[in-house]
Amino acid sequence: MLFVCLLLACGGEAGTSLVYYETYDPRSLDPALSTDVPTGEMVTLLFDGLTQFDPNGRLVPGLADRWRAERGGQRYVFHLRPGVTFHDGRRLVAADVKASYLRVLDPATRGGRVWPLQPIAGVEGIEVLGDTAVAFTLTEPLAVFPKFLAMPVASIVPVPGGGGGAADFGQRPVGTGPWRFAAWRHDDELQFARNPDYWGGAPLAESLTVRIVPEPFTRGAEFLAGRLSVVEIPFGETAKWEAEHPDWLQRKPALRVIYVALNNRRGPLRDPRVRRAINHAVNVPEILRSVWNGRGIAARGAIPPALGGGDTTRVGYAYDTATARRLLAQAGYPNGFAIQLWRSGTNVELGRVAQAVQAQLAAVGIRAEVVARDASSMREAARNGQTDMALLDWWADYPDGDNFLYPLFHSASFGAGGNYSFYSDPVTDSLIMLARQTTDDAAREALYRRIDGRVYEAAPWLYLWFPVDLWAQHPSITGWEIPVIFNGQRWTTARRVTPK
Amino acid sequence: MIAFIARRLLSTIPTLFGVLVVTFLLLNVVPGDPVAEMVGERADSATIARLRAELRLDDPLPVQFGHYLWGVVRGDLGHSYITQRSVLGDLAERFPKTLQLAGAAMLLAASLGITLGVIAAVRPHGVVDRFSMLLAYVGVSFPVYWVGLLLILLFAVTLQWLPPSGYGGPEFLVLPALTLGTRSIAFLARMTRGAMLDVLSSDFVRTARAKGLSERLVIGRHAFRNALLPVITVLGLDVGNYLTGSILTETIFSWPGVGRYVLQAIEKRDLPAVQGSILFLSVVFVLVNLVTDLLYAKADPRVAYD
Repeated sequence: MLFVCLLLACGGEAGTSLVYYETYDPRSLDPALSTDVPTGEMVTLLFDGLTQFDPNGRLVPGLADRWRAERGGQRYVFHLRPGVTFHDGRRLVAADVKASYLRVLDPATRGGRVWPLQPIAGVEGIEVLGDTAVAFTLTEPLAVFPKFLAMPVASIVPVPGGGGGAADFGQRPVGTGPWRFAAWRHDDELQFARNPDYWGGAPLAESLTVRIVPEPFTRGAEFLAGRLSVVEIPFGETAKWEAEHPDWLQRKPALRVIYVALNNRRGPLRDPRVRRAINHAVNVPEILRSVWNGRGIAARGAIPPALGGGDTTRVGYAYDTATARRLLAQAGYPNGFAIQLWRSGTNVELGRVAQAVQAQLAAVGIRAEVVARDASSMREAARNGQTDMALLDWWADYPDGDNFLYPLFHSASFGAGGNYSFYSDPVTDSLIMLARQTTDDAAREALYRRIDGRVYEAAPWLYLWFPVDLWAQHPSITGWEIPVIFNGQRWTTARRVTPK
Repeated sequence: MIAFIARRLLSTIPTLFGVLVVTFLLLNVVPGDPVAEMVGERADSATIARLRAELRLDDPLPVQFGHYLWGVVRGDLGHSYITQRSVLGDLAERFPKTLQLAGAAMLLAASLGITLGVIAAVRPHGVVDRFSMLLAYVGVSFPVYWVGLLLILLFAVTLQWLPPSGYGGPEFLVLPALTLGTRSIAFLARMTRGAMLDVLSSDFVRTARAKGLSERLVIGRHAFRNALLPVITVLGLDVGNYLTGSILTETIFSWPGVGRYVLQAIEKRDLPAVQGSILFLSVVFVLVNLVTDLLYAKADPRVAYD
């Protein structure tokens, strides 16, 4: 009731600028350093890759207007869009692509997130074909490679000429993207000006400001005061916003999964019956409804339903404490056992989920102790296999089922690679590799579905849900939609209209 | 005086060295891996190993510390692992903003707090006294973030008089300064009232009144000046605290100061940024204490340094 904000009053500081926000300052504006979401989103405004994603996660042409796979997906030829120039007026040529990728792969850049380019077979794997085409030879066939190239780290930069070292370029970036860099006041705001020559059509708005607003409550207040164009609604505030401002809300299923990694190599969790028992013991729809305001789709697999290979019709682990107890007894734990459930202390919403899971496990005799640590400590422990159960979430890097299988369940991804449950199954491994080499989309997605189902049966996780994103869009804004993938929104079609 | 300052500054060197050692050891004891924060999710162990080696994180601790110390001696606080920017440059960008916020909060606290305290002491148990002490009680008890959120709700969302958060003109400064200053206003008011009541009942005040001085002169010149020492102590401590960053206030109001910088650095295990910031802030704290000591002598001629 305190949030009294009349439509008229909210138009307060109209102007023509769009205002977006990040929760913390980007690392840099250098694509080579884009390892986190704020950096990746900002790089997406300034730069382009050969390919890119639209707000719905579809792969669309970027700086390359067409490409083709050769040799069963082991070689790719990308043809550059003609007439593209960098913000400083220089013309984009194929040599820039090679130089950009080599720069990311160069250890001196200290980029860190090099995996999207690692499938390329070294320096010799990149062939510049004149000014307008470039070919990549991979170490092995990889059907999703064109999606890797839409990642911010694979953006094309003008090298040399970006000027000086990485730190310098990261402060004054020059790209080909829809927005030109204007100013950056650290921890305060970034300013971008429209690139009138953008190959994809110049942005409709004159400028875009990105403010750094760390506190969710403050973001809500800023939005209601008309000083942010859009705002993401925290799960805990869903009901309030739905009641007060239903007209402003947009929702979209996110490419994200919430789960509890059950360490398949620790104690009682080694036994698949115990892991299945845990899945039966927890009433996921109930927790989803009460703790997350129903903003999610119960997971019966790891691949979100919005992606090819996602399956909502799979027969799931029904909430059934009797079955859970029976499975525990069969595994030799008729009286349950004690175990640790780790969660990140900084994420309040996941904290409530941890409590609910703890309470429900107690009903079948599993005494879970909730261990709350800061995100960095928890990540280290989980990567080193020191957590029994760890409440985690996984966001898509690229919209493809592979992103929910290879990092999460392939044995090559143990620990730091993303497989925090240390699930290991040679058949799964080889099926994943087979899928990665299958260039036919329908066949590949059928394989994803099969792999996801196979893993689901082994229950390496306590499967929770796929969240649904909820955003409020200010009534003065048109042409914006929720991106399912962090780098799917370029703000080119968004603009302010005078509110009536 | 100069000799005193020089001596005090020299004596801070061992203190700062101690701060460096303790920070360094603590950062190496806490769990969490700086390289894991650099590479983000989904990393490969080869990249992690390479980065660890490049950052010399696998060197023995004394070697790492010696390397860092050598940099500090040359005035180089290193570069952030995360942003690759110079730590000193980052601090130089943020410190003026923290200074601005701390200054505004202190100005508010000193003017309001001391005034309330003096008025309360002049008419003890009067209406102003009761009111200001209630206010002080409330101000000391309320948590900072709660005050901040309420102020945003009232002045930014409901009344729309002020922007909810951000950095800019004076209108952006009001709410965070009030939030940060609330505790100080309350504390200073109580402190001043107590000190004034002590002084007002002393012999020299009675003498001053007996020789016919106006009440204004008695309070303003004779009593207040003598009540100032404890007030300066409190002010000095608060300034020190505010200048070293007020994480909660800066976070709630999106204020780009050093508090948030340090918090972010700690979360990301950005060792050079954390170490550099703590060293820098220790220097600030030491300097503020020095200034406070000098102010004692200014306020009370009986305090002398030589």
